[in-house]
Amino acid sequence: MMFKEMRRIIPLLMIGAALPAWGGTVYLAFNQHSTQNLFQTKDAVSDQISAFSLAFDQDVSALSLMGKVEYSAFRQTSGLSVFAADLGLDYLVPAGRKSAFYFAAGGSGQFYRQTYDAFSSLGANLLGAFKTYLASSSILKIQWQGTYAVFKDPLFDFMGHTASLSIDKYFPSRTTLKADAEYGYKYFLHPFLPEPVEQPIVTGLAGPGQMGMGGGGQGGGGGGGGWGGQRYAGGYGFIPRYVSGGGGAGIGHVSTSFLAAQGLGDTVGLSASAVKQWIVQGENPFQSIEEFYFVQNPSADSFSWEGYQINGRLTLSLPWDVSVKGGYTYSDRSFPGVESIGLDGLPLGLVRQDRRNLFEARLQKDFRRLSVFVSYSYVDNTSTDPLFQWKSHYVMGGFEWNLPAGRKGGF
Amino acid sequence: MLTATAVFALLGLIAAAPAAGQAPGHYYNVDKEVRIEAKVREIVFEPRYKGTAPFLVLRVENSGDGRVFDVEIAPSWFFGRDIHGGEKVAIVGSLAEMPGQTPTIIARELRLRGETYQLRDKHGFPNWQGGPRGKRGIRRLGRT
Repeated sequence: MMFKEMRRIIPLLMIGAALPAWGGTVYLAFNQHSTQNLFQTKDAVSDQISAFSLAFDQDVSALSLMGKVEYSAFRQTSGLSVFAADLGLDYLVPAGRKSAFYFAAGGSGQFYRQTYDAFSSLGANLLGAFKTYLASSSILKIQWQGTYAVFKDPLFDFMGHTASLSIDKYFPSRTTLKADAEYGYKYFLHPFLPEPVEQPIVTGLAGPGQMGMGGGGQGGGGGGGGWGGQRYAGGYGFIPRYVSGGGGAGIGHVSTSFLAAQGLGDTVGLSASAVKQWIVQGENPFQSIEEFYFVQNPSADSFSWEGYQINGRLTLSLPWDVSVKGGYTYSDRSFPGVESIGLDGLPLGLVRQDRRNLFEARLQKDFRRLSVFVSYSYVDNTSTDPLFQWKSHYVMGGFEWNLPAGRKGGF
Repeated sequence: MLTATAVFALLGLIAAAPAAGQAPGHYYNVDKEVRIEAKVREIVFEPRYKGTAPFLVLRVENSGDGRVFDVEIAPSWFFGRDIHGGEKVAIVGSLAEMPGQTPTIIARELRLRGETYQLRDKHGFPNWQGGPRGKRGIRRLGRT
């Protein structure tokens, strides 16, 4: 399967390899991840991930062409190994000396191995943005982005869009204040399973016959690949609902965020930010959702929650192009439409709510064309759903190497 | 006679026209590299070279002697980074001076808010990335 998909991607690779000869830039990156909790549940499953990527960027007048191919290999859970490709172009349109419009269009594909083939997808996206300097120290940005994606498991198929507005102001005290507002809407085209002839044993939960499709986590009263006395090995990260007649389901949110950043001398940067998000339309169509480390899970993303998040960050710029970054994030999120489910598989009658502490640190050394880094993260997650009471350490290291091959001179 | 005049006029125009639409001497000359620390006074987005996107140009004031320079950053940076008037920057680049014009620095390295950005390699080859599309965002640790 993977080789079949790769044959389709080879022409893209050849284009990517050829374009730099005309003046573009190639980026090569390798990241090695180690996680104690791949599926981010109470039953921790360790894994190591090796991610390779090759990207190119080619400017032709105001038009840019970009492409990226990436392969991520999971050592233990090899079914999550994924080959991904992105291709896009963008166009910059000046609107005076202080403003510009930006338009972009792109397509992407992700191809998982057979075990997680349900996540394999093809997508397209459009982006339009406008940026202007209200004054030399103040920037206004407006952006709209639309996305359409189809998956191997059609329950995930969706279209969505976000519109955002941000304004910032820089003060001579080296303080930056920034405010953002966003509206987003995601519409799952057909997220429901048809009502079975025989109802499942536990009303509303996926039956044993559907475990391969959804809800390896805890549905089905102990059947299938769930835990029910076994060690959790990861499902597809969601439990679908049964709805006669099917149809689509949408979920919309508005959010607002504020950021304050302060520079201290030439070496220290501090920032604090807060985000508040409300679900204003619909709810999650799935009964249970999960997040996987490093894997884009279409049932759990920025559209699925409401609540708030606060963040503090410290940046140190040390001699010899060494930088150190540290951060702490606390989030309190609930997932409308998603039920908390007991370890016995029975609904608890509570909307799922997670509170999370995230600590992060990163050390990076930049060379002329090469950046190397190591990072560490720790997550402590508490939840009204006992499956999602978990803690985990993450370690990552890697490098990014860029290979410019452009024309010499003024450009 | 008219034909000969037209031909000479055309040859004169061709001789006077800068190569590839750029001013004579306006290229990355490694022998004219300078390093300055400066404060950003103005940010503009304007065409610089024929056949390329307009550039983000910083008008800066040298912290040492107050001299003003135009610093060419990159075409994609107008959307990729938010630089404000009043911010301090350190720049390494090639100085191009034309009589009667503000001296221009073609930036190779920019230090901003404690971070160093390599815009070109040491020979002057461009090294910048695209606009706000950025890199494909892999979701980690549920931060989306």
